[in-house]
Amino acid sequence: MALPLPPGLTPSEVGFLCEMEHVTVIPRQTLDGLELLGGPTGALKPPFPTPLPLWLALLLKKQRRANITPPPWLSVDALTQILDFETDERTAELFSPSPNLPPATTTAPLEGDPYLAHDSLELSAPFLKDAATARAQADALPYHWLEIGHLLITHAPDDFEDLDAVRKLLRDLREVRMSKLRKGFEVLDAGGGVKMNGVGGMEIAEVRGFVGGVVDGLRKLNRSREESRKERETEERENGFGSSSYRDDEDEDML
Amino acid sequence: MASYYCPTAILTDAQKAPTTFSLAVPALSHSPLNNNSGTPITPATTLDLPLWLAEMLAVSRPSGPASAPLATLDMPSALGPKVMNALTADATSVELRQQAQWFYGLGERMLELFEDEEMGAVLLNTFKKRALEIADKAQNTRTAQQGGDSGDFMSGLDETERQLFRAAHDGTHTVKRWFEATSRG
Repeated sequence: MALPLPPGLTPSEVGFLCEMEHVTVIPRQTLDGLELLGGPTGALKPPFPTPLPLWLALLLKKQRRANITPPPWLSVDALTQILDFETDERTAELFSPSPNLPPATTTAPLEGDPYLAHDSLELSAPFLKDAATARAQADALPYHWLEIGHLLITHAPDDFEDLDAVRKLLRDLREVRMSKLRKGFEVLDAGGGVKMNGVGGMEIAEVRGFVGGVVDGLRKLNRSREESRKERETEERENGFGSSSYRDDEDEDML
Repeated sequence: MASYYCPTAILTDAQKAPTTFSLAVPALSHSPLNNNSGTPITPATTLDLPLWLAEMLAVSRPSGPASAPLATLDMPSALGPKVMNALTADATSVELRQQAQWFYGLGERMLELFEDEEMGAVLLNTFKKRALEIADKAQNTRTAQQGGDSGDFMSGLDETERQLFRAAHDGTHTVKRWFEATSRG
């Protein structure tokens, strides 16, 4: 049967997945370590901060058993710095960079090409370590910045020093980046690509349907041109090998 | 090729193109293809036939002494020179829906059969320009609710563009709904 859901993740699915990210929690009550499916959680001994998955942190917060420490990039200073980077006219084409990726954990058969090894493990969000814990990088927005930022503001408002400023900064950041994304629409082409390093999950989910539709439409219109170009190329390649004039030129070069 | 069961492909192929018969087909004079008019179909009669039928007639070559195809296919008026010129001049002001409900699908099929480079380039350009307009409109229906002139553009979109608009609008809308839903919980 035809599945009416669009291909790829919807925004609500991205929002759900972001809750797997770890955040630093300051417990107010003791709790034994839990054996979760994703792995064991550390035991909670107040007042030592412990990393926990976001969904568990939000649950404990609602039950008033813990406080959540906002990650370093979710502070007024960090967000202002990132916003300045985004609005600077020199970086109009770029997004603010994502956190540095860990090196690939493998011995690669080819130098610098980890993808071919059987045991290579390329981690991606939400499994990157310390994207939203207290040890996160303070000058980069991780993949789920918008979702995590929003959830923490909504459910842990008292853990922030300047909640209104953070909320305003998040909103401004979102608008600046969305407008940059929309400007990127202009260079969409049947075979082209748009440089989107540093774009977050929710932002992609928002434009996925539209951009996918446009590129698909362009691909269909371009199909006959693409096919005739391929035929021409294969013909030229065959003729190039077979024609004798090619060889004559080479002989003359040797003299 | 589009899939057999895909409604988009079926509707696209149902669009009409002018076909000139090169032989007489008296048995079809009373068929709906001929608007049930009863005028005989002689060589050089031009009828508007659906694409799937016209393509088969134009491409097939019956074996025999006269091995010309059964009919010749012309470009439908929706892709004719007048429309092409209008699109090169101002892509966003042409009402594609008036020309053909599945305009780009029609263009794609004709490009398969005819290999018209210029038409291909014009269609690509049109698609890109109108896609930008659609992105703008999808984003702004929140604030500027229904201007008079925006209604014209929206009613002139063909089916593929309508789906694009819906996709763009849905994206923003779902994100907004997620924000509201999580704010409550």
